[in-house]
Amino acid sequence: MASVKIPEHKIILCGEFGVGKSSLFRRYAADTFITATDRKSTLGLDHYEKLYKTKSRDVKLQLWDTGGMERVASITSSYYKFSEAAILVFALDNPDSFNVLSQHLLDVVTYAENAKIFLCGNKYDLKSQILVSDADMETFSEQCHNLISGIYKTSCKTGEGVEEMFADIASKLGDANRSRKELDALTDESFKVTTHLDSTPQDSCLC
Amino acid sequence: MDEEYDCIVLGTGLKECIISGMLSVSGKKVLHMDRNKYYGGESASITPLEDLFAKFEMPNPDESYGRTRDWNVDLIPKFLMANGQLVKLLIHTGVTRYLEFKSVEGSYVYKGNKISKVPSDDKEALTTDLLGMFEKRRFRNFLVFAQDFKEDDPSSWKAMPGFDPNTTPMSAVFAHFNLDRNTIDITGHALALYRDDEYLAKPALDCLKRIRLYSDSLARYGKSPYLYPLYGLGELPQGFARLSAIYGGTYMLDKPIDEIVFTDGKVSGVRSGSETAKCKQVYCDPTYVPDKVKQVGQVIRAICLLDHPVANTKDALSTQIIIPQKQVNRNSDIYVSMVSYTHQVAAKGWFVALVSTTVETADPEAEIKPGLDLLGPIKQKFVTVSPLFKPIDDGRESQLFISESYDATSHFETTCLDVLSIYNRGTGEDFDFSKVKHNLGDEEA
Ligand SMILES: Nc1nc2c(ncn2[C@@H]2O[C@H](COP(=O)(O)OP(=O)(O)OP(=O)(O)O)[C@@H](O)[C@H]2O)c(=O)[nH]1
Ligand SMILES: [Mg+2]
Repeated sequence: MASVKIPEHKIILCGEFGVGKSSLFRRYAADTFITATDRKSTLGLDHYEKLYKTKSRDVKLQLWDTGGMERVASITSSYYKFSEAAILVFALDNPDSFNVLSQHLLDVVTYAENAKIFLCGNKYDLKSQILVSDADMETFSEQCHNLISGIYKTSCKTGEGVEEMFADIASKLGDANRSRKELDALTDESFKVTTHLDSTPQDSCLC
Repeated sequence: MDEEYDCIVLGTGLKECIISGMLSVSGKKVLHMDRNKYYGGESASITPLEDLFAKFEMPNPDESYGRTRDWNVDLIPKFLMANGQLVKLLIHTGVTRYLEFKSVEGSYVYKGNKISKVPSDDKEALTTDLLGMFEKRRFRNFLVFAQDFKEDDPSSWKAMPGFDPNTTPMSAVFAHFNLDRNTIDITGHALALYRDDEYLAKPALDCLKRIRLYSDSLARYGKSPYLYPLYGLGELPQGFARLSAIYGGTYMLDKPIDEIVFTDGKVSGVRSGSETAKCKQVYCDPTYVPDKVKQVGQVIRAICLLDHPVANTKDALSTQIIIPQKQVNRNSDIYVSMVSYTHQVAAKGWFVALVSTTVETADPEAEIKPGLDLLGPIKQKFVTVSPLFKPIDDGRESQLFISESYDATSHFETTCLDVLSIYNRGTGEDFDFSKVKHNLGDEEA
């Protein structure tokens, strides 16, 4: 039976350390949450693919975590390459993590200029300690000349809003495939190296 | 950083990043530091273009160069052999998933003031314009022998009576097939990719394997045996750095390295300012240990920005041209490699060519003239002459393992050999590729 290959959309998580990027990744990949900043549990996990059925079509999201490189060093510019969407994550109880997002935004537009950008306020369960308001987020979005394609509030602890966010991102990527087309033009004729000899097109001579 | 590690790696050049990745994958606790605030050291691709001009103390580029951040310019030009060691490392470690490649469009060799496509199989041997009619036949016979050759099957050697791959020198093989000096030059330098003629006196096995590597690499993706990654070679160290981080390696950039601390002749830590990280081993590039390396030569590299492709390459957007030593009365080959906007390393319509060779005289820039002349008008040229360093010992005593400087070869085979050798010296074993989880992150829901 012929099967249509569904292209995957690379999505990256960006933001300060401790805001919950790996927690979002863990919720998305395994729907679990751990309180300890136990790094080991995500070791060896690089990115994770999931299929979403949206109104327009099936969309395969491929979510990438930073690998913890931002703790003391900076993230490699490669991390951003070929991504179609970036989620700027901050912790709602930590205004500093919100205020530095403009820097992360700059990195995204520099290294992945066609990526759609989403804003995610995490740790929504810490109700009494929330210091970043909806109005603050709206203002940020306006200051970014509406580069932000969606604003979400999530809690990795309770799971609230997490699936909704990814489903919404999937449908937005499914509808607009402008950035996809640009990415395809970019990787026209390029390929990944694999072990399979017959995995790439080649004008073979059958004589 | 006041912690204890198994290994500390200094410098984030390609070799150090591959080593760091292999050590982390093998379960070692790794701290990886760089004195620069960017990844890649000398293996970084420079971006935006202003940074390249600034590096060579030149005023900013004018508007004709387009958007400056569309440029990612390598300082050390190399291609990957499609079937070579680095591609194997990329596949086995899974780092391939971070990269996109394009096949280099043409592979040329210089003879008698012009360039011709490198003939690599028996069919091309008969059609090439490089050789005369009778020589073509002889070359074809040799290539058939090289293609049929199997190291462990003596019946595949019978075209040459008395041949033994481990003892017969390559010169005797060429003599048996009656190849003339030109053909030997093309074979040894454009197919087997030797930089000088020392191989002629050595057993034929290595040369035959190299010819096989060339033709197997060519067979993989078609146009040439070479691959090049989108956004430049700087993507390679970054990919291996991510591998190391995913496996628990800690990264610190922009860290001055003030001292490698020794206790009883063995490394015991690395000091940066007032902090010292303890460790059992240190791996680094030569620039971190000037008193533990010796200079063995020099390489000259000229980065040339062009607004046109190289003549006589069918307007290829990427090419490799080898000028064999004898063609220009030298002892080492001149390499010309060119990539362009289609690899996301230059603004639309622009090309980046690199001409390099091992320095033989007091006027290195004159030495690369034959290569520069092939390029046509050059908009901007940046020339560097870099010393080649080798460690003074193998590091086993001190547990300080130093990589060699990047040589003038046009591909990564020697780079990988050095890395695998360092890994072996440091850990006492060869790298076990099966340690890497093959489906790392590729599981589907
Ligand atoms: N209360 C609460 N805590 C959370 C939430 N999400 C993450 N955390 C906690 O915040 C801490 C940091 O979370 P991580 O997911 O490791 O953060 P990160 O952004 O990946 O951080 P680095 O990997 O260190 O850069 C952990 O202790 C988590 O348990 C949340 O929604 N609510
Ligand atoms: Mg994390």
